[in-house]
Amino acid sequence: MTRDETAADSFFTRHQFLIYRLFSLAGLLPVGAFLVVHLLTNSSILGGAESFQDRVDTIHGLGPLLVPVEIAFIFLPILFHAVVGFVIIAGGMPNVGSYPYAGNIRYTLQRASGMIAFAFIVWHLVHLHWLGAPFRGTALPGFDPHHASSTLAVAMASLGMNLLYAIGMLAAVYHFANGLWSLGITWGVWTSPAAMRRANWLSVGVGAVLALAGLGSLVGIRRIDVDSARALEERRGEARRMLEGGVPATPAAVSADVGT
Amino acid sequence: MIAPAHSSDPSSSGSGEEQRAIRVRILRQDAPGQESYWERHVVPYEPNMNVISVLQRIAAGARAADGRPVAPVAWDCNCLEEVCGSCTMLINGATRMACSALVDRLLEDGEEIELRPMSKFPVVRDLVVDRRRLFRGLEKVKAWVPVDDSYDHGAGPRISPEEQEDAYPLSTCMSCGCCLEACPQYVKIEPVRRDGEAPEAFAERRQGAFDRGFVGAHAISQAMLFNSHPTGKMIADERLETLTAPGGIQMCGNAQNCVAVCPKGIPLTRSIARAGRSATLWAIKRLFDR
Amino acid sequence: MAQPRVLVVGGGLAGLSATMRLAELGVAVDLISLVPVKRSHSVCAQGGINSVNALTRQQGDSEWKHFDDTVYGGDFLQHQPPVKEMADWGPRIIDLMDRLGVPFNRTPEGFRDQRRFGGTLYKRTAFAGATTGQQLLYALDEQVRRHEVAGRVKKWEFWDFLAPVLDGHGRCRGAICQDLVSMQFRSFAADAVILASGGCGLVFGRSTMSMACTGSAISRAYQHGAAYGNGEFIQVHPTAIPGADKLRLMSESARGEGGRVWVPRTPQDPRDPTTIPESERFYFLEDRYPKYKNLVPRDIATREIFDICVNEGLSVERDRPCVYLDLTHIPRQELDRKLHGILEIYEKFQGVDPRSVPMKIFPAVHYSMGGLWVDYQRSAGGGMEEGSPRNHQTTIPGLYAIGECDYQYHGANRLGANSLLSCIFSGLFCASGVIAGGEGASRTAAEEPARLFDSALRREQDRHEALLGRRGGGDNPYAIHQDLGALMTRVATVVRRNDQLAAAYDEVCTLEERWTRSAVSDTGNWTNQNVTFTKSLGDMFPLAKIILKGALLRDECRGAHFKPAFSVPGLSATDPVDRRREAEAWCDRFAANTERWLKSTVARPGADGHPQITYEDIDTSLIPPRPRLYGLVGADLIEEVWRERQASVAEGASRATVAAAAT
Repeated sequence: MTRDETAADSFFTRHQFLIYRLFSLAGLLPVGAFLVVHLLTNSSILGGAESFQDRVDTIHGLGPLLVPVEIAFIFLPILFHAVVGFVIIAGGMPNVGSYPYAGNIRYTLQRASGMIAFAFIVWHLVHLHWLGAPFRGTALPGFDPHHASSTLAVAMASLGMNLLYAIGMLAAVYHFANGLWSLGITWGVWTSPAAMRRANWLSVGVGAVLALAGLGSLVGIRRIDVDSARALEERRGEARRMLEGGVPATPAAVSADVGT
Repeated sequence: MIAPAHSSDPSSSGSGEEQRAIRVRILRQDAPGQESYWERHVVPYEPNMNVISVLQRIAAGARAADGRPVAPVAWDCNCLEEVCGSCTMLINGATRMACSALVDRLLEDGEEIELRPMSKFPVVRDLVVDRRRLFRGLEKVKAWVPVDDSYDHGAGPRISPEEQEDAYPLSTCMSCGCCLEACPQYVKIEPVRRDGEAPEAFAERRQGAFDRGFVGAHAISQAMLFNSHPTGKMIADERLETLTAPGGIQMCGNAQNCVAVCPKGIPLTRSIARAGRSATLWAIKRLFDR
Repeated sequence: MAQPRVLVVGGGLAGLSATMRLAELGVAVDLISLVPVKRSHSVCAQGGINSVNALTRQQGDSEWKHFDDTVYGGDFLQHQPPVKEMADWGPRIIDLMDRLGVPFNRTPEGFRDQRRFGGTLYKRTAFAGATTGQQLLYALDEQVRRHEVAGRVKKWEFWDFLAPVLDGHGRCRGAICQDLVSMQFRSFAADAVILASGGCGLVFGRSTMSMACTGSAISRAYQHGAAYGNGEFIQVHPTAIPGADKLRLMSESARGEGGRVWVPRTPQDPRDPTTIPESERFYFLEDRYPKYKNLVPRDIATREIFDICVNEGLSVERDRPCVYLDLTHIPRQELDRKLHGILEIYEKFQGVDPRSVPMKIFPAVHYSMGGLWVDYQRSAGGGMEEGSPRNHQTTIPGLYAIGECDYQYHGANRLGANSLLSCIFSGLFCASGVIAGGEGASRTAAEEPARLFDSALRREQDRHEALLGRRGGGDNPYAIHQDLGALMTRVATVVRRNDQLAAAYDEVCTLEERWTRSAVSDTGNWTNQNVTFTKSLGDMFPLAKIILKGALLRDECRGAHFKPAFSVPGLSATDPVDRRREAEAWCDRFAANTERWLKSTVARPGADGHPQITYEDIDTSLIPPRPRLYGLVGADLIEEVWRERQASVAEGASRATVAAAAT
């Protein structure tokens, strides 16, 4: 491949350093941080429908702020990270066949996992998020935050879907964990080979925890009994409607509803 | 460079044992812009041969494996001791110095030795490539100590043994280009002169193209070498300005092939990470000092 | 007057330091080099660079002693003022290189560390790891790159110097050069041309020198009339690793740390060397030099190893001469601690671990003490006059030579770690004189008529076309080079005999004749390495003839030039009186030999194609010659006799002065 740039430098070229650093930062904050929160939240499903619903309700407690927050701190950063990421991928020439070193394999996997994770996120939105509702139709019921566990269990019923989620989630986790290590070099947090090795264990640890959380969520979903979960969610829904309707409730009921 | 050839005394091979032969496959190209083609050569085996001596025999013979007379294969070399950095090429698919590539070891991998020119630099002819962009990188990062002049002003600054041990490995970089060849982020730039374009205009356009491309691990490491020298660091900001310009340190993708293929074992990734740190601090400082 | 312009040929230590200094002085410099200058042969120097320093000074060392060691080591065959000047500049040069960022090894307090090298008692040698030459070269390369970015220097890399351009008065006004990529010719108008093209190791086929060390530039200058000095003095290093492509240096420290040199008593014993019992090994150095053992001086080690292989037929291998250098009796850990770097080199290039298998080594051509004859102007203080246009000028006005390609500093034998100093010194020092020389001309080179350059360029083009035009069936130039190298290595390196030298001279003439009938296998005009090599091979014959004829005519032993037929044995008598008489005779013979042979060999190209040899007296006014007595039997007594004679000469001289004053 040859490159023969003659046109005046584009905005992208002129601000390459800043853009790449923002790209790197975005991978950690807020995108990476969101991934951590998301996966850990999901894993609460291991504690049963009630515990999961608690977490979901907490997030949805943001109410009308939720959408702008999602757009500003999740969708736009992911989109930015993805667009710059694709530019970076297009500019590189992976050569793991000639140089099968560990670092090079990780470099190549970082790019592959980024692309897989991005495709997966798009699918994930179509599958479960309100943004994807217009694309879903009736065949895919999607995720209802008020019936978190039951709708999720229905959506995740097939083994194939579990496999798809496992792959997508692991790609995202690898991308984040390895990216964390790489980010430390980019910003100069760890500079010596020994420090890089130590940082490597850190990223392995982070990745292992997140992978376990993600896989645990999948297991947790499979353990959900749809009918009993729905019954629980209905009961909680009634309680919530009563609260919203201004009907007085016992203090115990309030504390049970808000949860932690 | 110039290629003398010496085969050992012919009587040495006549001791009755069967003559072993080394088979070599070379990717040739007659000139820039021309099609490349594979050519096979056969060279009598001698003990302790390296790839350079194989190429010397090929140049002296000037015949392909099928006996057809061919122009001698062109290649670069000088010191043959792995300190001048000339003879980089792709040997059995990977970048390395031809002088320290021993035939006996290569034959352990397979029956045939494969030689190709470096893929990240424009081919001049056969195994000779044009590495001007590599040296341009050294200009860009101002890889020198900015002394007043070459007259006597007494000794240089005092330097601790630890600092010397830190700097010395970086200073053994021989500009061979292995780190660039193996880097997945370093992409070939080969501008072609246009019809009617003046040589000066072309040279300027080519330099512009070089300067937008990734500067590479070797130059980043040299920038860090001089930014750590007591006098060299007086222009540290200028070097960081270059390292954060287009084609700078941000292009590194942390594949770390550079350090894995460096024939001198230079801690290039340490230099890159240090450059990353310096660039971070410098960018912050600039943000608030402006 | 327009801005002066200088062409520097060669970008090693000498060429780069000259370029740096000239650029600083406002001269426009064109720097041409066969290889990118950062890849020059100077990178191969490992050991270090000599100079008096603060430490040795306090132990009694001085510039004078460095100067004395250099001329004594060189067997007095060098004009003393330039050597004195070089020794005086030593400390300043090390300081400069230090300022330029050379990572010299450091003491715990942060000063430059020094080590001891052969031929001196002081720790004079500053070093940067095991790659001092590389580090020095890079520092200069960086400065020249800086000047290049500023537009003061233009580098022409992958260019070949073909010929100097001489005007009607025989003054050098530029040069014709060829681009080795496009094969295009170009004339460079220059107010001075400085040759800094290094040694000529390729005349000997394989040596420790780099592939660019063809000697072609100095040969071409010689063929255009520049005289050549002391060509026969070629330094051979005792321990090198024979390779199919080149001979790589194995540092003396391997013997310093206890390495033993031996051969099997059975010629070409096919057994694994580690299984050969002690009784069947011949430790010939230990046997013949019980006092020094394996650490005999370089020249003696070289001669003995050569002798045991070539004359006694005890080489380890049948097809190529070599002996064992054995470290296997030393614990691995100790070897790794002390010799890691050099053992790694052996392992890398031989693929064998020298910690468990004895190394195979043989002497190799290493350095040319001789080179283009250059002038100097003596200063009032006995050194070289700064700014004189005569300094480093060859016999062609306006053409200068510096570094290994001049003959000025090392006499008959070079001391270790002195070459880096002489290269940098001559480069820095020559600059002001080169500029002064240009100022004397009535017009600048750029104002010379174009036809001067055009006709010179056409000559070189024709020569090139003629080479390309040679048609099939001719001799293979690579085979001719192989024959030349083998011949020169056999007769003109370690041991020299007149019958062999005379026969070899005729053989070189035959080879040259064969060369004129050789054909190139590549007739293209793009990166044609074949024709470039063939051209440089043609230019090796004049150098080979200079070396052989100089060696043939010089009937003595001096430094690296050893002729057994003229070697003077030590004392053999046991009776004190006889022994005293022998010592007197020895000194008589030494004095006569000095009178006859303490002269530089100067070769000029003859019309018949043979070098015309004349001899030049040497300025030994600062340090009178004295015998070099390393390891000779009876050295103490000879030295005593010689000192007495010197004292009486001095006394006689002072008495004469007193008498003259009285009258």
